[in-house]
Amino acid sequence: MEKKEGKWKGDKDVIIMDLPGIYSLSPYTLEEVVARNYLIEERPDAILNIVDGSNLERNLYLTTQLTELGIPVVVAINMMDVVAKNGDMIQTERLAKELGCPVYSISALKGTGIQEAAQAVVAAAAKHATVPQHSFAPSVEEALSDILAKLPNNIPQELKRFYAIKCFERDEKIPIALRTAPGIEEIIANTEKELDDDSESIITNERYTYIGQIIQHCYQKKNKGGLTTSDKIDQIVTNRWLALPIFAIVMYIVYYISVTTIGTYVTDWTNDGLFGDGFYLFGNGRAAYEEANEAYTLETQKIDAFLAEATAEGIDISTAESDPIAFAAEAAQVTASVTITAEDESTQILPVTIQDYEIALQAEEPAVEDFGTWIPGIPVIVGNVLEKLQVADWLQGLILDGIIGGVGAVLGFVPQMLVLFIFLAFLEGCGYMARIAFIMDRIFRKFGLSGKSFIPMLIGTGCGVPGVMASRTIENDRDRKMTIMTTTFIPCGAKLPIIALIAGALFSGASWVAPSAYFVGIAAIIISGIILKKTKMFAGDPAPFVMELPAYHLPTIGSILRSMWERGSSFIKKAGTIILLSTIVIWFLSNFGFTENGFGMVDDLSNGLLANIGSAVAWIFAPLGWGEWQSAVAAVTGLVAKENVVGTFGVLFGFAEVAEDGMEYWATLSAFFTPAAAYSFLVFNLLCAPCSAAIGAIKREMNSAKWTWFAIGYQTLFAYLVSFCVYQIGSVISGDVGFGFGTILAILIICGGIYMMIRPEQKQKVLQAKVTA
Amino acid sequence: MGTYIVGGILVILILAIIRKLYKDKKSGKGCGGNCAGCKGNCPH
Repeated sequence: MEKKEGKWKGDKDVIIMDLPGIYSLSPYTLEEVVARNYLIEERPDAILNIVDGSNLERNLYLTTQLTELGIPVVVAINMMDVVAKNGDMIQTERLAKELGCPVYSISALKGTGIQEAAQAVVAAAAKHATVPQHSFAPSVEEALSDILAKLPNNIPQELKRFYAIKCFERDEKIPIALRTAPGIEEIIANTEKELDDDSESIITNERYTYIGQIIQHCYQKKNKGGLTTSDKIDQIVTNRWLALPIFAIVMYIVYYISVTTIGTYVTDWTNDGLFGDGFYLFGNGRAAYEEANEAYTLETQKIDAFLAEATAEGIDISTAESDPIAFAAEAAQVTASVTITAEDESTQILPVTIQDYEIALQAEEPAVEDFGTWIPGIPVIVGNVLEKLQVADWLQGLILDGIIGGVGAVLGFVPQMLVLFIFLAFLEGCGYMARIAFIMDRIFRKFGLSGKSFIPMLIGTGCGVPGVMASRTIENDRDRKMTIMTTTFIPCGAKLPIIALIAGALFSGASWVAPSAYFVGIAAIIISGIILKKTKMFAGDPAPFVMELPAYHLPTIGSILRSMWERGSSFIKKAGTIILLSTIVIWFLSNFGFTENGFGMVDDLSNGLLANIGSAVAWIFAPLGWGEWQSAVAAVTGLVAKENVVGTFGVLFGFAEVAEDGMEYWATLSAFFTPAAAYSFLVFNLLCAPCSAAIGAIKREMNSAKWTWFAIGYQTLFAYLVSFCVYQIGSVISGDVGFGFGTILAILIICGGIYMMIRPEQKQKVLQAKVTA
Repeated sequence: MGTYIVGGILVILILAIIRKLYKDKKSGKGCGGNCAGCKGNCPH
């Protein structure tokens, strides 16, 4: 929920404030509070009220309230292209007369009428305030007059009617002095008795009666009572049975293209090309290079295989380089073999004789520059410059491994996010996103989340960063915060290697481990939703799900690209500031520490400050079954990037390079963990605070350090408690330990969790609004 | 010498970032116009 400020291109002195989209000035939502505060306190020179022409009746409700604020109002009826397409007609001149303010027809999509409306509102700013043309039923007007007479004199004249109506509605957000003025409650009660309705409903009905009359005079519907094209599409898209399958297909396509295909391609290019070794301009030459490199790799394999076989046959290979003729004579009878695996997985065994070995020795490593226009990556270019400047190794390490590596890894997500944001902008622009939220709301509401929360979670399965960022489509503050806090519980792509490691090393690759990780993530979201909803911070009646289902229409390319850039650019900006500073700190902590010669750069990362921190906090994880410092360090480095967990174990177990699933050290790990401890480690890493990039996204979206700490604190505490229960209960079930204090504590935690889920809701925290007279 | 030049540039860059973050926060731009942060009470 945002309000944005800009300047009108036609006159730089004109400042435009775009307030959140609202339906009324009744402060039920934060959007309405923000908009109302601004209008009452800041008193803009004029209001441009943009209403949806395809849904005029509902939108004019706000217009009737705006005309009561004593500010010049200009109404711009948007989506007139859709109105015309439907064959409907709005008489703007008649409408202007009825409302008492200028009315203009515009189409934001086609760009028509916008300048005229903007000029009109600038002109209106110099004129008198709009005077509301409507009056309520005589008894209501009489009550309002009586209330007006009792209002304090310090209220500006132009706002008196507004406050009188708000007093009549018993609006809790107006100053208490107004609400409790003597005699007002009696006036309201009498009118309610007379009209047999509550005061708020009386005003609402009065407004809609007035709007109904306007519509009757000014709006000619071609297909009265019939279904529009949008209605017909909605009959299928929001159908009780078809809605979910259609939604699943749409989301699969979005996810497949943005994360799996195009997104992955551009992200790989960013990570491996732009922030890696480099890339071929337009890809020309890559295929030829890969072919040549493959041939060269085969030759090196032949050399390795031949030398290995010679060693096995007792030949001293140390002479291979110093005295190749003698070595050739000695190894003349040796025949090794190399296995080649083709693309179709078929294998071929090639014999390697001394002749093949000697030919292989002649092979030259292909140079990337020989196959096309090779553009070196940023680390290569910067590295060369630093080398030429003879910059110290530690500073080169900081710039290349720390800053460029760290910021590059984060920026690597940007292309994927931009592709995703294009799709999201299209779905939003065409009107389908509103339908998705509508479809999912009924399900998600049951455990305290909004229908709009589903999209971030879906995206979060690929990467938590765009997942968290996608939460900004949720306008309601409480729902958005809760979604941000729970989205990263879903295992992202970077957590998959951890799942593969634990499944392979401790559970013999059991097929249930990976699905169980997703089950744990979904269960964590549901449980957290229910528990958080019952706390004071998130408690209360669910915010009414008011969402306009706009008519389907094709958005313009410009609007899609603008939306994509608005969402993506802030992340890029953040990468250049907060994330850059973070990478420097993390690099320093990883690479510096106390050695025999005092404080300085360490050769082995396990001696660095980060490793020391891991060692210092290892005891905290002992109740979870993995209190060894290596596990703690692996979990800590996972906060930098979840991919680090597998690699860190590799380094700490003495493997310089490991496969993605760390299969080289499965045997070591299986002796290191019990199955219960391993699953506890897996659960903790799945549910605890996400990687630094995702934490950065949480900070950006929460826009509050306090809320960011609360979110990652909650996630980590939740992960700790769940992992504790998994280890303690799991160890008893597997027979590793007997029933003891830990088991009792775990049972108590589970009971406490169940209580938190079934206890009555806490009192709603009332939205605060500052309205002064 | 190269170490001092590059190190100096890096220090200036870091200080500039910190200064910008501090200034943005002080002027209220830190919220980026996102009203969720201050309930609409900021001057923007």
